[in-house]
Amino acid sequence: MTSLRRTDILSLIHLRSDGRRPNEIRHMSCHLGALPPTTDCGSALPTSGCSGSALVSMGLTQVLCVVRGPCDVGRRSEELPDRATLEVTMRTTPFSPPGDRRVTNPSTDRRLIEQSHLLQTALSASILLHLFPKSKISVAVMVLADDGGRLEASINAATLALMDAGIPLKDMVCACSAGRWNAGGSDEIVVDLNRREIQAATGSAGGGGGAPGGGGTSDTIYLPVATMPQRGTVVLAQCESRLSGGAEAFGEVLEVAMKGCQMVMEIMAAAVRERGAGLWKAKEGKADVILVD
Amino acid sequence: MDSLKNHFVLPGQVLATSHSETQGGFLRGHGTYIELVPHDQHDNDDDPRDNAGGSSSLGGMAGTSKKRGWGNSSDQSNVVMRSEHDGGGDNDDDDDGSKQSGEGEDAAALLRVGPQRLIASVAGTVQRVNKLISVIPSAPAVYTGQVGDLIVGRIIGVGGSRWRVSLTCSPPSSGSSSSSSSMREGQLPLSGVNLPGGVQRIRTSEDVLAMRSLYREGDLLTCEVQNVQKDGTLILHTRSLRYGKLENGVLTTVPPSLVGRRKNHFVTIKGVISSEETNGDKHHDDSVMDVDDGEESGNVDVYLGLNGGIWIQRTIPPQWENSLHGSLDQDSRAPLAETLQKLRQRHANTRVSASAREGIARVRNAIDCLRLVHCQITPESIEIVVKTSLREGVRVKDMLRPEFIVKITEATRSR
Repeated sequence: MTSLRRTDILSLIHLRSDGRRPNEIRHMSCHLGALPPTTDCGSALPTSGCSGSALVSMGLTQVLCVVRGPCDVGRRSEELPDRATLEVTMRTTPFSPPGDRRVTNPSTDRRLIEQSHLLQTALSASILLHLFPKSKISVAVMVLADDGGRLEASINAATLALMDAGIPLKDMVCACSAGRWNAGGSDEIVVDLNRREIQAATGSAGGGGGAPGGGGTSDTIYLPVATMPQRGTVVLAQCESRLSGGAEAFGEVLEVAMKGCQMVMEIMAAAVRERGAGLWKAKEGKADVILVD
Repeated sequence: MDSLKNHFVLPGQVLATSHSETQGGFLRGHGTYIELVPHDQHDNDDDPRDNAGGSSSLGGMAGTSKKRGWGNSSDQSNVVMRSEHDGGGDNDDDDDGSKQSGEGEDAAALLRVGPQRLIASVAGTVQRVNKLISVIPSAPAVYTGQVGDLIVGRIIGVGGSRWRVSLTCSPPSSGSSSSSSSMREGQLPLSGVNLPGGVQRIRTSEDVLAMRSLYREGDLLTCEVQNVQKDGTLILHTRSLRYGKLENGVLTTVPPSLVGRRKNHFVTIKGVISSEETNGDKHHDDSVMDVDDGEESGNVDVYLGLNGGIWIQRTIPPQWENSLHGSLDQDSRAPLAETLQKLRQRHANTRVSASAREGIARVRNAIDCLRLVHCQITPESIEIVVKTSLREGVRVKDMLRPEFIVKITEATRSR
């Protein structure tokens, strides 16, 4: 665990190392339809067959998500008779290495594989997969820049890309993290951790969930949470820290994370509304000019 | 009732609630789903999706803090709902309910009695026809067909006594591509085409073998949706003289949502081809194609496929038909099918003059301009853009430069 002098000083006036208050999420921007939907399914281009896309940045973490489908399953064995197959791949770019870990092969990196599984679980709670039997919806996430919380950013980007593609969702899935650690002698519960804070909370430099144990003190928690805020359901909560503070401590952190999800949802909703209204107005010939592509 | 119209909703937003069959009923349209209104909390931890990704030992904790988010957002959606619903049965007093009880469209769940509510599942504008409430997404990327839609598609496969038609007009992929999609693919059965000569009979195995002589891979064609199967697959047919192979023209594709359903999808844009230099092309007729006899109508035909494919070709001059009748006058009551087939043949084999090509290119670029500003593509809007570009003296190759796009589509926005 690094002793962060700057953090100590800031914590006296209840500000975090990047100047945020404890209950403040990072600056978040959403860009729906970041890639033009291509009609060409057959070519080998990475955007081929793209039916929806979104670019989400939460602070310095930036994630691009592309949704393809619903389309035919390539192999018969993967076909499900009653619902669509949801295929999730998560990759990092060569220029966004996960912290101080050495650069690994993105197709075999276990942390990436684990996080794409988590992403799949979170999304399949919301997508109405039974409407597309025997077909496949594939969600491809590319982490462009990683400053902590790439799993949360990926979930948010995937939700927006799915909405952009017009795939029916039960509810929007919004993700945000919360953490708790000992800073300057007092416990701090903060929302939407950046990489430095995750390091402080987990004692490691994991891109998403840090390695368990490590050098973290006994009751530090880093907890990424995904919820469906309009119905208040938690679809994902991953905690790898040791909980000496008991379940109460966990509950407090979860509350904070869910508040964060609510804030994230408001930003996402505003972005979707803005784009939807813009496209609708343009179609009706009422808008100022917008240029798609 | 109109207060619901054009209201933008997000997935998960409650559109309407009904307490029983008789009160405040609604019908589920596209882009929505029905579920039971939660009424008690004892089944909080029953939902297996809860904590799906989290560590299992923490399940109980997640349950306790569920209430918060629900209360807030439910208030929000009530505001929408109250203002829009004219029925009396739409009060939902279950703000404290914190848990959903089942799958959205689970038949078993719907059979149980209890208040139901209708929730949006896509982001889009609400549309309401009497009790039917649906949500129309703002820009769906995937075309969903309806019976009777005009399709401009491309043959990507022949076999099994049917043609596979790509609805995105993408060329047939070489090798095994896993991304060919049933959502973007229709099927044209052999029984759905007119046999050459217009004979009506049962298709034989010889016909199956001769399928490629009608349409081969890569051919473009217009057809109509005959049937939509339960899984969304489109069954197409070309059993009308209007439909068939497309040759000697230009294809362009736009998002399907920009082509609205209208009475006629075969439209003519008038006065596009300038007539001064029609004859300039007449001298080098060394190709195998016949040369146009200089009699052109100056019009361009546009076929607006609802799947987003748009085909542009010059209008067949009326003189051709007359001359055809002249040559056939010994049998002036020749079947219409043969006449049309001959006309089409002649169109395919006749070189398009340079000015006609320019006119076609202008229409094509006009449609591209409309796509780029996301404006609905109608004959009127195409005509406005074409006329404006002609009046402003914009050359065809300059039409797609951003400053000109904004300029020549200006009139479509001020309507």
